[in-house]
Amino acid sequence: MFINYEYEGHVYSVIVEHRDNEFFITYDNNEYTVTAEEVKPGLLKVKLGDTVIKCAISEGDENKFIFIDGDVYKVKRVELTGRRVTERKEGDLNSPISGTVVKVNIHEGDHVKKDDVLLVIEAMKMEYLIRAPYDGVIKKIHFKEKEQVEIGQLTVEIEKGE
Amino acid sequence: MFKKILVANRGEIAVRVMIACQELGVKTVGVYSDVDKKSLHVHMADEAVCLGDPPPSESYLNIEKIIEVAKRTGAEAVHPGYGFLAENPDFAKACEDSGIKFIGPSHKTINLLGDKIEAKKTMIKAGVPVIPGYQGERQDVDTLIKEGRKIGFPLLIKATAGGGGKGMRIVRSEDELEESIEGAKREAKSAFGNDSVFLEKYLDKPRHVEFQILADEYGNIIHLFERECSIQRRHQKIIEETPSPIMTSKLRSRMGDAAVKVAEAAGYTNAGTVEFMVDGDLNFYFMEVNTRLQVEHPITEMTTGVDIVKWQLRIASGEKLTIKQKDLTQRGHAIECRIYAEDPSHGFLPSVGLIKKIEMPIGPNIRNDTGVEADMEVSSYYDPLLAKLIVSSENRMESIMKMSWALSRYIILGVTTNIGFLRQVIEHPEFKKGNITTHFIDDYFKDLLSKRQTGLPLNAVISLAVYDALHSQRQEVVRFKEADPHSPWRRLGRWRIGV
Repeated sequence: MFINYEYEGHVYSVIVEHRDNEFFITYDNNEYTVTAEEVKPGLLKVKLGDTVIKCAISEGDENKFIFIDGDVYKVKRVELTGRRVTERKEGDLNSPISGTVVKVNIHEGDHVKKDDVLLVIEAMKMEYLIRAPYDGVIKKIHFKEKEQVEIGQLTVEIEKGE
Repeated sequence: MFKKILVANRGEIAVRVMIACQELGVKTVGVYSDVDKKSLHVHMADEAVCLGDPPPSESYLNIEKIIEVAKRTGAEAVHPGYGFLAENPDFAKACEDSGIKFIGPSHKTINLLGDKIEAKKTMIKAGVPVIPGYQGERQDVDTLIKEGRKIGFPLLIKATAGGGGKGMRIVRSEDELEESIEGAKREAKSAFGNDSVFLEKYLDKPRHVEFQILADEYGNIIHLFERECSIQRRHQKIIEETPSPIMTSKLRSRMGDAAVKVAEAAGYTNAGTVEFMVDGDLNFYFMEVNTRLQVEHPITEMTTGVDIVKWQLRIASGEKLTIKQKDLTQRGHAIECRIYAEDPSHGFLPSVGLIKKIEMPIGPNIRNDTGVEADMEVSSYYDPLLAKLIVSSENRMESIMKMSWALSRYIILGVTTNIGFLRQVIEHPEFKKGNITTHFIDDYFKDLLSKRQTGLPLNAVISLAVYDALHSQRQEVVRFKEADPHSPWRRLGRWRIGV
């Protein structure tokens, strides 16, 4: 079984085979043989040589969360296509948060300067500012005041100036 | 004592209040919005009533609906928790007018102390030291800019009706002034329905030290010592401890006396908190009074043995305060960490999602105050505080070690939390030395927060692979390893996308 995990912009490719009680894992040009037990649903005890790894894993819609040594990592299983997994165009202004647009400072066609505040989004009574990443012209505004915006949604398109 | 009360809140604080009620044999009425239908506080309440749509204005901030529910269910009193209507004088008044006891000070006291400008004037008169600033009634932007220049930079803009860091801005130079005033006014308007702000001098090496007070309705007032709340992000506290590392017995008695004087001057009743700023030279200044139960009240309970919420109920039902100041002692040291659904590596942005798994650390002197459980959705409608972890020990160092242990075993999966970050703060050498100010996070974690990341550890990769192999439905047709020992896949490890 060949699996790719994506974590913070990196892909971790690993091969795992499950035979009887053992797992054979190939990762980063090394091979590991481990035994494992799922103590409770999502709670794993993995024996690798003399060390015992204890961790908790849960699955969301898209992501997996793993708790290990006091830290939590959010990973995504990705299909390997040989190409970049996420494409992010420069100048795309995605909302960092789900919330309500409380202020739109610009109109389509406006010239803006780097760091100008374009939109103000409010979530949980805190404000988040969407600023211009560079000097340019506003091509399209996707939200009006009082509209709900979801995390990751494109808010404003901006064409880079000369 | 009351027979039945309504708890006008959600999350961990509603649960905390209901526990006190249950201990005292008081029946509880819970209220909830549509999205909170399956919440812990709804399960805990003896009866629960839906308020309607999730936006706070339709639910937890809706005075009319809540009063109506209290009347209909026969609740004799309302506990407002913190946030929402806790410091809203109109709500206290509406309760009083309907013959329902508001568990907190009178609406007049809330009004006086809620207006930060009036509060300061009162305290100056009472001889309590305050920070220089502009607290005038003229609220046009030009006046504020002019007054801001007079005070000098850096300065702080705060919402007159505010609290909890909402509508608050630090201005470091004149060119940021106008934009900050406008932003603060907008935030204040939407959070409190009042866009009035005030300005004040921003202190060097400031610490936030507050005193818990309890006052009955017969003029008896005591303080339950201090809480050090300097560790903040976005002007909101994340770690609190008591005693404060800077406190001396002399300073403690001076500040405690001042806190009692503040309560007297305001005609305060029930539980409240007097906030002070303490500068590098240990001068202290009155900041404000939080006319409610504080998020961080448990550390005081851990070190004094006093149950603050039960006293709130007793005082509101007309009982006399039987604890005397001289009988109170602080024993040991307690720390609280606030577990937030937020992402420290992305500017502490609140995160949302479904909690798939939650396991809290248990052990000697560890207290978990929580409002969440597994399979609960964290939505963006409300404050992202999920739970509080409180520990106590003989001394500060032991408490730090215990907290560090407890955080490392605190599992929440499904939504990003600040637990890892809290542990980094607790384990920071300067924190251990007690060298903390309200700038601590900015001073020591700014760089760390933006870059960080060591990648996914080997043990995590192995465990994930094992998990997926265990849960795989597919039969493997080809065994890569055996199929081709020279396969390029074997060399793959960590690589980067799109570069």
